[in-house]
Amino acid sequence: MPIYLYLDRGTLFHRFHPTVKVFGLFAVFWTVFWLDHPVALAPVGALLLGVAHASRSWANFRRLSWLLLLIVFFTSLVWILFFRVGAPLAKVGPLWVSRASLEFGLGRGLKLAELIATTIIFLSTTKVEEFSYGLRALGVPYRVGFAITLAFRLAPLFIDSALEVVAAQSLRGHEFRRGGPLSRLRRYAPVMIPVFMGALRKANNMAMALEARGFGHSPRPTSFAEYRFTRSDLFALIALSVLASASFLAYYLGWAGIKIR
Amino acid sequence: MALTASRSLHLGGPPEIEVKEVSFTYRGSTEPALHGISFVQRRGEIVGVVGPSGAGKSTLVKCLNRLVPSFDNGTFAGVVKIAGQTLAEQRVCDVAPLVGMVFQDFESQLFSTNVAHEVAFAMEQCGYSREEMVQRVGAALRAVGLEGFESRDPATLSGGEKQRLAVAAVMALRPRVIVLDEPTTDLDPQGRAEVFALIEQMRLQGATLVLVEHDLEALRVCDRLLVVRDGRIVADLPPSELMARVELLESCRLRPPDLSLLCERLGITPHTQTLEEAERAIRARFRICATACESRLDYDASASSCLPVTRVGQEANKGRQEALIEVRKLTYAYPEGRLALEDIDFAVGSGEFVAIVGRNGSGKSTLAKHLVGILRPTRGQVLLGGRDLSRLTVAEISRHVGFVFQNPDHQIFAATVEEEVAFGPRNFGLKPDEVAERTQRVLAAVGLEKLRFQDPFLLSKGERQRVAVAAALALNPRVLILDEPTTGLDFFEQRRMMELLTELNRGGVAIVIITHTPWLVACYARRVVMMERGRKVFDGPVRQFFASSELLENSAFRLPEVTALSRRLGLVALTVDELVSVLEARS
Repeated sequence: MPIYLYLDRGTLFHRFHPTVKVFGLFAVFWTVFWLDHPVALAPVGALLLGVAHASRSWANFRRLSWLLLLIVFFTSLVWILFFRVGAPLAKVGPLWVSRASLEFGLGRGLKLAELIATTIIFLSTTKVEEFSYGLRALGVPYRVGFAITLAFRLAPLFIDSALEVVAAQSLRGHEFRRGGPLSRLRRYAPVMIPVFMGALRKANNMAMALEARGFGHSPRPTSFAEYRFTRSDLFALIALSVLASASFLAYYLGWAGIKIR
Repeated sequence: MALTASRSLHLGGPPEIEVKEVSFTYRGSTEPALHGISFVQRRGEIVGVVGPSGAGKSTLVKCLNRLVPSFDNGTFAGVVKIAGQTLAEQRVCDVAPLVGMVFQDFESQLFSTNVAHEVAFAMEQCGYSREEMVQRVGAALRAVGLEGFESRDPATLSGGEKQRLAVAAVMALRPRVIVLDEPTTDLDPQGRAEVFALIEQMRLQGATLVLVEHDLEALRVCDRLLVVRDGRIVADLPPSELMARVELLESCRLRPPDLSLLCERLGITPHTQTLEEAERAIRARFRICATACESRLDYDASASSCLPVTRVGQEANKGRQEALIEVRKLTYAYPEGRLALEDIDFAVGSGEFVAIVGRNGSGKSTLAKHLVGILRPTRGQVLLGGRDLSRLTVAEISRHVGFVFQNPDHQIFAATVEEEVAFGPRNFGLKPDEVAERTQRVLAAVGLEKLRFQDPFLLSKGERQRVAVAAALALNPRVLILDEPTTGLDFFEQRRMMELLTELNRGGVAIVIITHTPWLVACYARRVVMMERGRKVFDGPVRQFFASSELLENSAFRLPEVTALSRRLGLVALTVDELVSVLEARS
């Protein structure tokens, strides 16, 4: 089973220069960061849906849909119930919601969904090597960039290993869902210890293999991949810059915030 | 004193590796891992390093690229020279252009998302130009037979292909020496065959290789073998001379090749090195007429006509009583729809000893995981004692069926061996005195009583594997399923593990093992189930399996030498003892 989210589809979004892709990731994060109101966030969401479609990333959205929905739903719910500002619209026992809390909660959920969607699109269209190259081009030190990309490489391995450990301990009659929160936390020790030890061992083996393959030999490693900056890259950079600026402007002018009534 | 070959420097080239009086003690250890080791390896030589687990083999080869002492800290003494250059203060990454290293764990040495990038990785680190990299990537992939795989994701390659890719990634830098540290341990027979074919090809091209390996029979390709024991080289001999020294091999916990054992038992000297030589010697010794035996070579129709027919029948039926686990028309599809198992019918009876074999990805582990309820069938049924497994919880199933994962470290977490074994019974709410009694009993059964208060993380892999078996046994299962229980163990540990399983089997526990090791199947199992692309393609006695050329070819199983030889003689013997007894009976 492939361990990355990268989908080899050859769309325009796949062909963008790595620097543009990494810049795009941060530009969308920046854009979303300044927006709170769901109406302000909605156009960005629509734009992301369009990009997901054009980059043919739906397979990964389907794969992670349960995670996406779960996080967005609970985030919205928690903020709607606990953002206790404005005049109550409805009340059930100690819980109440206001227009402001509804807007804020939905905005938070949407914001999180857009951040996750941006990451999924980025990982669906960007190889680990491109990510590393893009980070270097934006001035991130090579080792730091490589470590970040390695984390993407390792995460699925650790998840697989954790699932196997959970199965192994269940077969020994271990129940993870017994007792209160603290007791439940303690009951995860039989999983955490083997996973942690395995991760240390794996990281050690990987570090050894990296050094044996010359990692760190040259202060300026070269790149096997060749990337050309094209006119499409330039247009994309301009569009992303406009988007990021517009978002900040909307924030600055107070168009993107929640009004308390 | 070490035995030294008179022909050890026969290749006559300049020394490529010079190791002088190298000693190393790991930090925190009182015993040195290496004691004043010295040897010379000429250009174009292939040297095999063999020895029991913990002998110092990996430590020794890690000295060749300074992983020891740079990476593994400790006290180092002595001199290592590669191509005349003394490795003293260099960083490991600076030695990479001189010494390339391929490791056992192929998952941990592949970092890229496509094959071409993987091969170029080391060259990028060394600052090569793109043009040079393109040229070398192509050459390296051609050399290992992976041309056309450039844009493939390494994660989608088979184990053998991954290891060949790791070799290509090392070869691209064109180092003076390539070290392969147990490169086939985690591979299936097909993967092993691919890697050894590559090694043979590299030998013909004059590469200087150092090869660490447990399987002596596979090391006939080497010019010399260094036997390492307790951090010292105790023998430095050509394979033919070393393999004739059965006593020395056994004292070093190495498995003597079947041909050597056979020659020793039959008193044939000098020991034969090939099947042809052995066949000639045996025919001459026992006056076996070639034509007479050639007329009995129809193995598939009647396995082993030279052996008593009743024995084959007994093997097939022995131990098959009521079905403990029964699989009916089992089909399993992954969430994305790909079929992993299709229409499997299979049963395990009490007292059986079953080996499940097949290439990687054939569905062996998926089938085994259904037997303990870790996976649930897409279609079909798994019955445990007649009850549908899907209606039982995993915990209920584990009272009857024990499962030991390939990697014992996936379950070990406790501070002592005793605590680790007691974990399961405690989860089932047994009383403290009953937990203590069970723990003591299973620790005695697996031979770990003396280590009961040890930290399991400090034990050897073989011992940790036995802790995992003990933990499963502590629940008193009637069936024990083990996924590749001998991977990474030396011969002594493998035999010890298999003898433990045989003992449990004699006590009534049905054993199901998934394995890639032909001699284990031949010596210990009584029934073979062979999987191929999610389907069961064979289910029958071991002898019948080893008699079928087609099955062996499809499973990529390499016949144990004794079985291959016996087939040339018109028999299907599974062990050296068996062949000797048949031949002696004839004489």
